[in-house]
Amino acid sequence: MKEVLAQHVDLFLIIVYLGAIFLFGVLFREYVKSTEDYFLAGRALPWWVIGMSIIGTNIGAYDYVGAAGGAYRFGIAQANYEWLGAIPAMIVSALVIIPYYWKNKVYTVPEYLGKRYKEAVRVIEAVIYGVFLVMLLGIFFWASGIMLHTYVGWSIGFSIVITAIVVGFYTISGGLAAVAITDVVQLGIMFVGGFAVAAVGFAKAGGVLKFFAALKAAHPQHLQVFLPLDNPAYPWLGMILGLGLVLSPAWWCANQSIIQRTLGARSEWDARAGMLFAAFPKTLIPILVVLPGFFALMFAPPGTIKNPDQALPWVVKNFLPPGIGGLVFVAFIAALHSSVDSTLNSAATLWTRDIYQRYIKRDASDRHYLLVGRILTFAFIVFGVIFAPFTEKFPGIYVAMQTLLSFFQGPTLATLLLGVLWWRATGWGGLVGLTSGVLLAVFLSVLKVNFLYVAWWSFVFSLVVNVVVSYLTPPEPPQKLRGLVYGYLEKDEDFKRAVERRING
Amino acid sequence: MGDFFRGLPLYWAKVIAALLYLLLGLWVITRPRDFIFRGTEDKSRWRDLRLWALVLIGIQIILYFLF
Repeated sequence: MKEVLAQHVDLFLIIVYLGAIFLFGVLFREYVKSTEDYFLAGRALPWWVIGMSIIGTNIGAYDYVGAAGGAYRFGIAQANYEWLGAIPAMIVSALVIIPYYWKNKVYTVPEYLGKRYKEAVRVIEAVIYGVFLVMLLGIFFWASGIMLHTYVGWSIGFSIVITAIVVGFYTISGGLAAVAITDVVQLGIMFVGGFAVAAVGFAKAGGVLKFFAALKAAHPQHLQVFLPLDNPAYPWLGMILGLGLVLSPAWWCANQSIIQRTLGARSEWDARAGMLFAAFPKTLIPILVVLPGFFALMFAPPGTIKNPDQALPWVVKNFLPPGIGGLVFVAFIAALHSSVDSTLNSAATLWTRDIYQRYIKRDASDRHYLLVGRILTFAFIVFGVIFAPFTEKFPGIYVAMQTLLSFFQGPTLATLLLGVLWWRATGWGGLVGLTSGVLLAVFLSVLKVNFLYVAWWSFVFSLVVNVVVSYLTPPEPPQKLRGLVYGYLEKDEDFKRAVERRING
Repeated sequence: MGDFFRGLPLYWAKVIAALLYLLLGLWVITRPRDFIFRGTEDKSRWRDLRLWALVLIGIQIILYFLF
């Protein structure tokens, strides 16, 4: 009887959540009148919405499962992805990179790179990230279908269609504003769910200190944030060089889904404050993703968990009381939806601004591009629903796509950093540096080098090639660089003359 | 180079991470006030983004010291 009641409570929570999220689409529809409203929320987002939306977008259901599995296997070292692998890069993104995107009023990261370097750099970046985001949708839809099927019992097909209708409706009707506000709600649900799991776990162990003392006694290495160099997954040097200095800055400075929220800020200060504010909940994410792995390690009977990725499902299914389990499940769904909506909106922005508007129809009205943005969002939903079942047939697709993306992270970061920080970097330097860095990353991956070191060396190589080619090619004209490069005004002769004229009256 | 790093005790990883955070903190402190408040009329202390960044760095150093 108790179990039946709990099931009804869980189902009630899920239906209330889906209904509430659907309502957002209706509420935000009337605010979307232009492409700026649709893609950038009318540049009206306050810092706290940006911050919470960034983290909502950043944490997906895969992160929950994968990170809990990582913590189960390797311990607190998994938290490096949320700490060293995020916070410094978020600070640099806020105080160095975002002001340049914001000042140039761009819609996308490739758009900035195209302005700074060459149109070819913009096309390469737009196609890579555009294709990646669209493919990712199919995987997200499949994951949502599996989760609803496992927990609620709906068929996978029906679950995918329900997800597509709910997320698609508010994303198409409300654009980035609806996406950002729903992300805020979804992040709130994720934290409530995460804290509920933590409370139950610590209560079972007899308190926080008792739990950590028992964990330290049973698995001392699980409380070491850095692991030896011979660790296959998280060697400490790879964590600092590959994750801390390359992959993380590439993610937080150049990922369209993340950056797009800051481009929709109501002021430059809000854009920067939004990214810094996001770093506070990011610091707490290990409570959501690492603790469940620890609870599975300490409380699951030996031999129960054969694959580390089963750690979180085991906690939800066997460890939590009914009702709380439903809440955590809604948190998963919220995490997944917040990633789907952001991916949809960013993919539509990239394809509309960098491909359609640039190469298919150049001088159409804003109304036309708004319609194209909405049609593309709808088309990506349909593609995602159709593509979703294929991800089951090819379980390596997600891994392959992540590997593919890792080929571009280091070279993209090198191109972006030199573009923002060094006035002498030229269009050819950017293009040759980017492409040669990608080729090196592919070569190193074929040699089975750890992906953290692939990221580091492809970044260094791309940086060096960019510098060498830039010195071998003529500098860019000052009028092209104005407002695009850090500290460039001091070197701009026109600017110097204008200041002198003003001083001399 | 690999042998050099392999020879280092594990706590050197924490020392390097702490140094990186300290360098970042020093860089944050030197950001000009005009730049930090650009885009807002309100110059209240809580809006000073250098403080936000320093609090974040402080929390990180504590976490890496603890684990």
